[in-house]
Amino acid sequence: MANHQKNPETTVHRHEEIQRKLALKEERKHHNVSFVMMILLTIVAFFAIWSDKISDSFAVLFILTLAIVQVFFQLYVWMHLSHKGHDFPIWGMASGILVAAITVASLMGLIWTS
Amino acid sequence: MNAGERLTDANFPAHPEKATLEGKNKFLGFWLFLGGETVLFATLFGTYLGLRNMHLDGPSGEELFSLPLVFLATMLLLTSSLTSVYAVLSLKQNKVRSLQGWFIVTLLLGLGFLGLEIYEFIHYVHEGHTFTSSAFGSSFYSLVGFHGAHVLFGILWIATLLGRNWNRGITLANAPKYYLFALYWHFVDVVWVFIFTVVYLMGKVG
Repeated sequence: MANHQKNPETTVHRHEEIQRKLALKEERKHHNVSFVMMILLTIVAFFAIWSDKISDSFAVLFILTLAIVQVFFQLYVWMHLSHKGHDFPIWGMASGILVAAITVASLMGLIWTS
Repeated sequence: MNAGERLTDANFPAHPEKATLEGKNKFLGFWLFLGGETVLFATLFGTYLGLRNMHLDGPSGEELFSLPLVFLATMLLLTSSLTSVYAVLSLKQNKVRSLQGWFIVTLLLGLGFLGLEIYEFIHYVHEGHTFTSSAFGSSFYSLVGFHGAHVLFGILWIATLLGRNWNRGITLANAPKYYLFALYWHFVDVVWVFIFTVVYLMGKVG
């Protein structure tokens, strides 16, 4: 009797365990892809400047865009912002980044116009 | 259940870093702190961008910077970010020895990065690029040095955390601490991505 009651429970438990393992495996894959992408983006940015073949103003815009893409990989994949329960952190970081952009723009403006 | 009790595979929660109220509070508070840090670094970036061409008779960034060295430092820090996320994966599976191993690799890569930075700064000082040599010098060392201080702080933080919890396994009390350290480390890496781009790469094109 005891055995009959125990069986469905262990099956459910095992099922949950397998799902969890699969989710972690998937997560590890995302982390690895994110790592390879960031290395590639860094190498591309490095060669965009190193090769001296691209015009300077375009190269600056290009490498800044690559940096912003890398930040999204970091925040969403490595810092888990894509996971559930991250609404507050997303708002916190978004407002931080907004104020940061205004700060950089105004500081540069202040120095250039003085 | 006592928060300091070693977790077993049977009672391991899905999110040990947020299983207690204290853990939840730390998680929210830390993200708020990172938002504030973003603004703090923005002030240093803004100042640097405004002053980077004012190098007086000292060497300019274009003459100073050695991209291969900085590229190597970037790779070290990027890899250490990956190893710290591996440690968080171990945390989620209650594998404390693997967590410790990955964090030690993170710590060593951080030390390697710091070693390269110190070597770089000593080299610059010999070239006549110091904190007081020009506005470029002051803003450069404030920005890059402040980031280096963050790396140093992170190294001391994880060393203390690992040492203090070496034989305790993963508990509800220390899981949030490990998790937050990994967040901090990724953030330090994010800032470096911008230093690499804005200071070094953009420094080469004037």
